[in-house]
Amino acid sequence: MRTILNNKHVVWLLLSVPAILLVSGWWQGRIDSMDMLHPTGEWSARLMIFAMALSPLLAILGPKRWLNWLVARRRAIGVAAFGYALVHLIFYLIDMGNLDDILAEWLAPGIWTGWAAFALMLPLALTSNDASMRWLRAGWKRLQRLVYPAALLTMLHWFWVHNSYAAALAHFVPLGLLLLARFIKKPFLQMKPQGV
Amino acid sequence: MRKLIPLALTATVVAVLPSAPASATGVMKCNAGPQSGWQTQDVLKAKLIKEGWTVRKSKVDGGCYEVYGTTPEGDRVEAYFHPVTLEKLYVARRGQVLFRKPGY
Repeated sequence: MRTILNNKHVVWLLLSVPAILLVSGWWQGRIDSMDMLHPTGEWSARLMIFAMALSPLLAILGPKRWLNWLVARRRAIGVAAFGYALVHLIFYLIDMGNLDDILAEWLAPGIWTGWAAFALMLPLALTSNDASMRWLRAGWKRLQRLVYPAALLTMLHWFWVHNSYAAALAHFVPLGLLLLARFIKKPFLQMKPQGV
Repeated sequence: MRKLIPLALTATVVAVLPSAPASATGVMKCNAGPQSGWQTQDVLKAKLIKEGWTVRKSKVDGGCYEVYGTTPEGDRVEAYFHPVTLEKLYVARRGQVLFRKPGY
């Protein structure tokens, strides 16, 4: 069981399950292009939040086996978040169907925030490989911090495109609390002697 | 402290999650009485098409008819109509409100 779960391809397969179900539903005509937008966007946000929650969790809870397992696969989770954002964008383009309609609404608050979030996620996904990490060295981590503005834009995109806050807040508030808890807890961690 | 933070976080997540609406978006509410008194979606669609709209999809949301389509002016929108009077109540483009009938 453990060797199966640790297989890189199995992790990728697990991350693609919602996408496979959604796209096959669309292919069979059970789901409209329009109705693909919400679930693909939501999965992208969920995976982004999940990947971002790991390091504050680690700081708060300390090293745990399950947490270390997840942290080792964080890059894959982040790339999957981008993958869902890409599928989300593709279905947006399919649903809109023509350039005029896309350009007519691209300055709407709910739309430009989505484009901007995607633009920020793009370099993160493109550099999520060993070669880029070696090439960018310390800059890699700095670059990956773009995920914070990307998450903020994603949240605003969700708020404004739906003109309601509940669902987006249900996803982003837990992440916000984790980041806050880590921030508050930092002095406590520093006060304790190492290794306790 | 070590136990308290995860506990507080879990409690918050549990408290916040159910507040997400299950189906109704909460954008608009119609209170139009029982569905037996409503006009059909087909009547609404025919009326809109006659006025120059393109209708892509329609459904019931918050007791109103919600239509996805293009207005006669060429704006791609989401619009709500009263299911009894078929009156236009709300028009938005990707959440950006373009029209809202006073009182709604």
